[in-house]
Amino acid sequence: MKEKTERTDESVLRNDLRIGVYVCHCGKNIGGTVRCHEVAEFANDLPGVILAKDSLYTCSEPGQEQIKADIREHKLNRVVVASCTPRLHEPTFRAACEAAGLNPYLLEMANIREHCSWVHLHDKDAATEKAKDLVGMAVNRAARLVPQVEVTVPVTRKALVIGGGVAGIQAALDMADAGYKVCLVERTGSIGGRMAQIDKTFPTMDCSICILAPKMSEVGRHPNIELLTLSEVKEVQGHIGNFKIKVLTKARYVTKECTSCGDCIQACPQLAPDEFNAGLSIRRAIYIPFAQAVPSTFLIDMNRCLNNQGIVACDRCFQACAHKCIDFADTDRTIELEVGTIVVATGVDVFDPTALTELGYGRFPNVITTLEFERLINAGGPSSGELIRPSDRKRPQKVAFLQCIGSRSKRSNPYCSNVCCMNTVKDALLIKEHWPDTEIYVFYIDIRAFGKGFEDLFQRSRREGVVFIRGIPGEIIEDINTGNLTLLGENTLLGSPYRYNMDMVILSVGIMPHKDAHVIQRMLNLSTDTDGFYMEAHPKLRPVDTTTGGVFLAGAAEGPKDIKDSVTQASAAASRANILMSKGEVKIPAITARIDPNKCTACGLCAKVCPYHAIEGSKEQGYYRVIEAACQGCGGCVPECHFGAIDQTHFTEEQIVGQIDHALATDAHNKIIAFACNWCSYAGADFAGVSRMQYPHNVRIIRTMCSARVSPKWIERAFSKGAGAVLVSGCHPADCHYNNANQNTARRVERFWKRMEKLGINKDRLRLAWVSAAEGAQFARVVSEMEEGLRKLTPQKIQEAAEKFKQAVIKKSDAP
Amino acid sequence: MTMKIWKHFNRADLYECYQCARCTGSCPAMEVVEAFGPRETILKCLNLGHEQVVKDEKLWLCCTCNVCEDRCPQKIPISELLVALRNSAARRGNIPSRLAIAIELLAKTGRSMIVHQLDEMRAHHGLRPLPEMPVEEIRAILKKTGLDEVVEY
Repeated sequence: MKEKTERTDESVLRNDLRIGVYVCHCGKNIGGTVRCHEVAEFANDLPGVILAKDSLYTCSEPGQEQIKADIREHKLNRVVVASCTPRLHEPTFRAACEAAGLNPYLLEMANIREHCSWVHLHDKDAATEKAKDLVGMAVNRAARLVPQVEVTVPVTRKALVIGGGVAGIQAALDMADAGYKVCLVERTGSIGGRMAQIDKTFPTMDCSICILAPKMSEVGRHPNIELLTLSEVKEVQGHIGNFKIKVLTKARYVTKECTSCGDCIQACPQLAPDEFNAGLSIRRAIYIPFAQAVPSTFLIDMNRCLNNQGIVACDRCFQACAHKCIDFADTDRTIELEVGTIVVATGVDVFDPTALTELGYGRFPNVITTLEFERLINAGGPSSGELIRPSDRKRPQKVAFLQCIGSRSKRSNPYCSNVCCMNTVKDALLIKEHWPDTEIYVFYIDIRAFGKGFEDLFQRSRREGVVFIRGIPGEIIEDINTGNLTLLGENTLLGSPYRYNMDMVILSVGIMPHKDAHVIQRMLNLSTDTDGFYMEAHPKLRPVDTTTGGVFLAGAAEGPKDIKDSVTQASAAASRANILMSKGEVKIPAITARIDPNKCTACGLCAKVCPYHAIEGSKEQGYYRVIEAACQGCGGCVPECHFGAIDQTHFTEEQIVGQIDHALATDAHNKIIAFACNWCSYAGADFAGVSRMQYPHNVRIIRTMCSARVSPKWIERAFSKGAGAVLVSGCHPADCHYNNANQNTARRVERFWKRMEKLGINKDRLRLAWVSAAEGAQFARVVSEMEEGLRKLTPQKIQEAAEKFKQAVIKKSDAP
Repeated sequence: MTMKIWKHFNRADLYECYQCARCTGSCPAMEVVEAFGPRETILKCLNLGHEQVVKDEKLWLCCTCNVCEDRCPQKIPISELLVALRNSAARRGNIPSRLAIAIELLAKTGRSMIVHQLDEMRAHHGLRPLPEMPVEEIRAILKKTGLDEVVEY
């Protein structure tokens, strides 16, 4: 058996291989830890390599030119670049290869920065040895690479924007103005979002709705924008350039002919709390969300209307309506859309401080949130702009703001909500502007006035007499008779306790991802960070892209943002989407699965595990085949085939096995082979590198697109070659970028564990770990734990196990 | 004899503190003695070292009511810190005399407090005299906790 494998190796390693290896110093990033020259010398002696060089910055113009020149001069037919993560510069070097006439799929990268120099900063020898190993693995894989041609698919010149807040509005307008059709889907009855609720904006103190309303009406009348309110995205199918969307539009019960005269309101007998006014006022069952709403059509809240479930018990609004535009027979509709790009602008929810019982929110009427305050002080709000206390409707003389409520806390949200400091400063100034004799106290931990014009505003508030006290009150006590509030706490700068009596307390509440953000996340296969915000494809260089092609992020759904930042990001997202739509086509990476019809027995197992229904065929037909446009390239079908009939392009069995074999050629017993999926775990390992989290150096990471691509055969091969341990890591269950393909990973690993148990092998040596792209620390921890486990094993034990696996392989190959 | 307090309390937890003072704001001891509280204790541990903290008799004002811990946004186990600090202080002999007396009494009589003419007062109210305390048992417990090394009795 062994001979046979080696023979196939030989036949693969063709004589005409001409591999060029480039080892990058990346300044001191790699060069400071790894002896790059030594690595290049090592690479020079590898089979198939005809030249190996090290350079200071391979990604620089001269570095790329060097590669191009060498390809032409030395007739290189494979290029290996040992530098940073392929997630960063693979496109760069692929382009360089292509420019020199080499098929871009003949490039291979060895990640010696994020996975080596940055995580082994203090052990230069080990880092250098690891770098050699990684380069060798890459060379071995490069030798087995084959040229690929990318399929081009058309991009539908229409965009979907999810969420009608200021970010969604801006993105929709930018794309519509560029000449593309846009469909804006908003869940509530009107666009406008949070910005419409706010009274003034910081730091310029502009009237919020005054600057937003013109944009809202522009959306309403723009010929390129189709506005769907009371609508939710229910289903997303397809891929970049060709998404098929199902949108559920709920019944409005009022037709477009509505002139919003408001006659119906007087007639309606049913009352409900007004959501737009944060529950501080009452609306009717038939209502318009707010005066400037777009569309300016009324709607009926069927949960409040007496005519629920088709029984018309009351038709007073219908009688009152002069234009007869009330339609009780209106029904929910499902609308199907075909779009090329999607902008996600689902925005944020406001933190509910009820759970922080010591503050008394919900129990003490005069403790309110900043959002409630915005409505109170707004001229269109429940008190027509008068600042009043909810308990007795009198104007408060002493007002306290409490900062960081629901932010920077392990009891609520651990992150800084970004907007609350400046919002409080603005609110304090607003009170001072209208009622200068009001005493205002701001209780804070840190005031973060980082943006343009912010410090100025902060200073202005101090000049106006707003008192800033460092130290959040521990407790609020209410005087039941007067409704006044006593704040107990410590002034940390004076080092003395305080007791302040206040008429009103405003909690400066933080913001958090929309409670249904995970619904969109699952539908679009997005990642979220540990705080629940959507994750960008790269935090610095692709800040509005997502890992799902054709999907872009705008606004606070990506992270807490003020209005200016939301609008900026929305324009950026629109511009990114416009690039796709203006090109009108996009290249799909050549990583799809392929079935060899000669080997296929038409068992259909592959079709069953395909998350995209991209494999079609039948027993009668005699074989199955992959629909290339639908295949997303997870490779989850490959390990399912018992007959070796399927393989994944560019991630073939022999390419990966080549990597495993090289990694385990020396000192196998002490090594950990880690299979990491491209989207989460490999990115998580990259993140560990970027964060300089140090972990044991004996891990060798092999990238696959999805963890489902990891074949039990590879694990078996690794163990039979004497690997100390094997790690299979992927996205968290339900966060898989390939429609839950990773449930197959779990199933296969569990089966392998059973097998190991049967063979009497310590099953802790195979580990399954879910590591998201944000969990660098988790990756480092898993590797460290495995290393610890590895140290408990004796070489004899490992060798015994390897023999057992070898026997099993031989037995299997002997079977007919 | 000193005790290594960071063995009993994870020092890294202190780095989480950003001095919001919610703990001190909730502290009943703060109402008794001005400007004493968990926030200051944590800051002193970080900036001055716990050797300075264990000298301070204010440490003994904490009644481990745990409210600070309940309200700490960073979930720092503040009561555990204070218990560890007081253990350390006691082993260095930094124990307030009133507490030392109480322990001595406990070891000798089984009660931490002596009330004059208690039995007469009880009889006056028609109550039975207090039962005898199991002094030997209490001494055994005190020994087990190591208090006998801190307070002589």
